[in-house]
Amino acid sequence: MTNTLLFIVLPYLAVFACAFGSIYRIKKEPMSYSSLSSQFLENHGLLWGSLPWHLGILLILLAHILAFLFPSFWQTLTSNQVLLMAIEAIGFGLSILCLIGLVVLGIRRLTSPRIQAVTTPMDLLVIALLLAQVGLGAAIAVHCKWGSAWCSGTTTPYLWSLVLFQPDLSNIEDLPILVKAHIVCAWFFILIIPFSRLVHLFAVPIEYLFRPPQQVVWNNSRKLNEETPAFAKEETRRHFLNAFLGIGFGAFLLSVGTLSKVFSFFFGPRLSEKEETELMEVRLAHLESTVDQKKLELERQASKYIMVAPITELNPTAGKYFIDYKMQPAIAFKGKDGYPLLISAKCTHLGCTVGNKVDSEGRILCPCHVSYFNIETGQPNAEAPAKTPLGHLPWVIMDEQGKVMASRDNKGQTSCFVQPDALSAGKVYIAKSLEDKTT
Amino acid sequence: MDIRAQVSMVFHLDKCIGCHTCSVACKNVWTDRPGAEYMWWNNVETKPGTGFPTLWEDQSHYKGGWELKGRDGNKKLELKSQNKIDSFVKLFYNPNQPGLEDYYEPWTYNYANLFEAEAGDDQPTAIPVSLITGEPMNIEAGPNWDDDLSGSTFYAENDINLEELSDEEREQLFEIERISMMYLPRICNHCANPSCVASCPSGALYKRGEDGIVLINQDVCRGWRACISACPYKKIYYNWKTGKSEKCILCYPKLETGQIPNCFQSCVGRIRYLGVLLYDADRAAESMKVPDKALVESQRTAFCDPFDPEIIKMAKANGISDEFIKAAQLSPIYKYVMKWKIALPLHIEYRTMPMLFYVPPLLPVMGKMANGIYTNALDNFFTSLDKSRLPMKYLARLFSAGNEDIIEYVMKKLMAVRYYKRTLDMQDIDLVMMNKMMREGGTTPEEAEEIYRLTAVPTIDQRFVIPEIQREESIESTCNPEICKGSCGIGVIQPPTRGL
Ligand code: SF4
Ligand code: SF4
Ligand code: FES
Repeated sequence: MTNTLLFIVLPYLAVFACAFGSIYRIKKEPMSYSSLSSQFLENHGLLWGSLPWHLGILLILLAHILAFLFPSFWQTLTSNQVLLMAIEAIGFGLSILCLIGLVVLGIRRLTSPRIQAVTTPMDLLVIALLLAQVGLGAAIAVHCKWGSAWCSGTTTPYLWSLVLFQPDLSNIEDLPILVKAHIVCAWFFILIIPFSRLVHLFAVPIEYLFRPPQQVVWNNSRKLNEETPAFAKEETRRHFLNAFLGIGFGAFLLSVGTLSKVFSFFFGPRLSEKEETELMEVRLAHLESTVDQKKLELERQASKYIMVAPITELNPTAGKYFIDYKMQPAIAFKGKDGYPLLISAKCTHLGCTVGNKVDSEGRILCPCHVSYFNIETGQPNAEAPAKTPLGHLPWVIMDEQGKVMASRDNKGQTSCFVQPDALSAGKVYIAKSLEDKTT
Repeated sequence: MDIRAQVSMVFHLDKCIGCHTCSVACKNVWTDRPGAEYMWWNNVETKPGTGFPTLWEDQSHYKGGWELKGRDGNKKLELKSQNKIDSFVKLFYNPNQPGLEDYYEPWTYNYANLFEAEAGDDQPTAIPVSLITGEPMNIEAGPNWDDDLSGSTFYAENDINLEELSDEEREQLFEIERISMMYLPRICNHCANPSCVASCPSGALYKRGEDGIVLINQDVCRGWRACISACPYKKIYYNWKTGKSEKCILCYPKLETGQIPNCFQSCVGRIRYLGVLLYDADRAAESMKVPDKALVESQRTAFCDPFDPEIIKMAKANGISDEFIKAAQLSPIYKYVMKWKIALPLHIEYRTMPMLFYVPPLLPVMGKMANGIYTNALDNFFTSLDKSRLPMKYLARLFSAGNEDIIEYVMKKLMAVRYYKRTLDMQDIDLVMMNKMMREGGTTPEEAEEIYRLTAVPTIDQRFVIPEIQREESIESTCNPEICKGSCGIGVIQPPTRGL
């Protein structure tokens, strides 16, 4: 319930309020729409506050937006260890820069009598909220490392689910409280934009880059209507441009999902009869293949044994992936003792499939948020976001005739019924009877 | 050619008595509001002196105006500090923006204390309190803080226009009890190539097509403050309360209804003239791309002769009304600037093409003394120019971008006119001598008579030739007057209050 309120209702409310509030303010109360600079009243503190703050936060926001808009690009970036480290380090550094700037700005607001003459309670709230938000961000960078990588599996899909009007909390439900607070704080932040000085965010004068240096405005309507230099209509266009740029981003977020659907409903291409049949056929084929797959799964679940690999194919460092009875991924290695070592490949953190290459310390890596698991014990490394070990799977080795040559039960107890050399002729299976008991 | 009309101005400095009536007339109407207390859209400075804001002419610090860049054949004008890219960084902090310290902290007095103080042994006083914080304060600076303080080592000596003067010249200038000084009333120049407009990131500043008045649209201004640094004359002020910038509006609401702007109307010395100049907008920026010393001449090439039928035709084609053309023909400005060439722009080396012109003061020159006695021996009549106590070099720095020839030409002509009239009245100068002087001064008896009439005994209609602006068909830049009738202030559609 609280989750729904905070992560679904609040975001929609915030974006809606921000978009409409800002448009209203920009259009109807342009006089109040200003950066409200106080450099004139106090110069020195502003230099050490405003510059670090703005430069820091702009870069950080840019990274957030990139990660959200181009998840796959971002993922490739962060899957590179070195880049990931660099991004994390820079991000942390920038957040410290922001914090310094904010603290200076805060102190300046509280101590300079001239600045106090132009300070509203809202200004103080904004500074407090920003301090909290950036502080949370920095804390996340410290406590929940590699945020720039794990966001692509958690917050990014969450945000996109909001954008597409199919809110899905499953991706963020299990996130640590720090991250959740950061998200909620962000929504509050968006919510107060139109009611505070933050509305200056939309005033970024992009059009300055493109406009001619001089502007002339004609008062006389006769002249205005004549076809005269390009500036003549500048005024109205400028108003429009401003508002457009200001709300463009918010509107973009809102409209991507709905508009494209509405649009294609009315204006999308109509199918001819032939195309329609073809489409049906494709769908049928899809359905059939799903049926096949389901059948296969059923079959697997019904059979007593599932073959993993001939024992000779197992390798101590490069594992072999297979699927167990519960349709979960697992990996088979050759253990130090020469017996097979079967370990679950479903990461205990957020369920990614763990890699199958063993590193020099006998560990396999979950690439999603960098957890290393020891294959002998299944334990994750201490700093890993995953906290519980990966489970081992019991197995049997059978020969061609189906005679059991060796087995390991779910307690890890190994028993061998033949000469160890003879085992090499056998194949490794997981057995339903054994697996059931593990659960 | 793109002919436009500009309501432009001439200030005749010889007549200014430094009374500040103009400043007060302006303040009482436009800047007596919270946030604007410190603004003086019109101010009068004592020169030599540091001006308002302090040392505003020091562009190595404030970085206002344009700079000539590029090699021959491909000269470009670039804003001195606010180019497109660094404007974006300067949004957050602008190192070239003057702060309150560079103006002064506005104050009032606690008058209530005079009435409400407890009975006691001491006379109650009204202590000064800041108009910003409301706290008691020490007054350390004010408007015209260095008024009449020419010669002071604390203020006047720092005037950067004195840079090139020799020690001897300085000494002469600041000689105790014989100090010479002049007054320089300043309003926005309503430039034809304004750097303020070019620098505005939000595009809030614009030049009006009909009359060339430069305005800031308060609804569009976002308080980025680029214009404040970019205007080399520091004639844009930041309203600390509303978070928007403001500037002289040349009293356009008055102009549009055929009235005289406040500072012009109230001027005690009647030094101010107002009228239309026709100019070629295509040449405005172009004419500013010449070396410093040629700028004054170059600017004149952009002005058009309002009697030339060709020009009239083009002006009409460009939408300039008959009323404007007529005003341009009667314009006192055209006479001072183009016909007689005795009015010069202030600091044209900033290359904004200012449209306010000054007739430089003659009196300090005439005040040249031999043993403290006022001489006008005719044989050293013009040579006294070289030894004048307000050196030509100094005046040239102010009014002709360092070109002393131009200043000399103006001075000689002004002197010739003066002696011509004197000869007529007093008959104490030999006519041959006078003729020689007129030749050297580059003038004729007819011209001298004309100059004298417009300078000394003009009627109000000769001083102010205000074109009919046909307000009834104008849609005002911020709001249609039909719709916004009765709305407050300077064309804004809501009360100018600070946002949250
Ligand atoms: S003096 Fe020129 S540059 Fe300065 S505000 Fe006026 S028009 Fe703009
Ligand atoms: S009112 Fe006229 S005479 Fe007085 S200071 Fe102003 S410009 Fe000079
Ligand atoms: S899913 Fe997060 S570390 Fe594996």
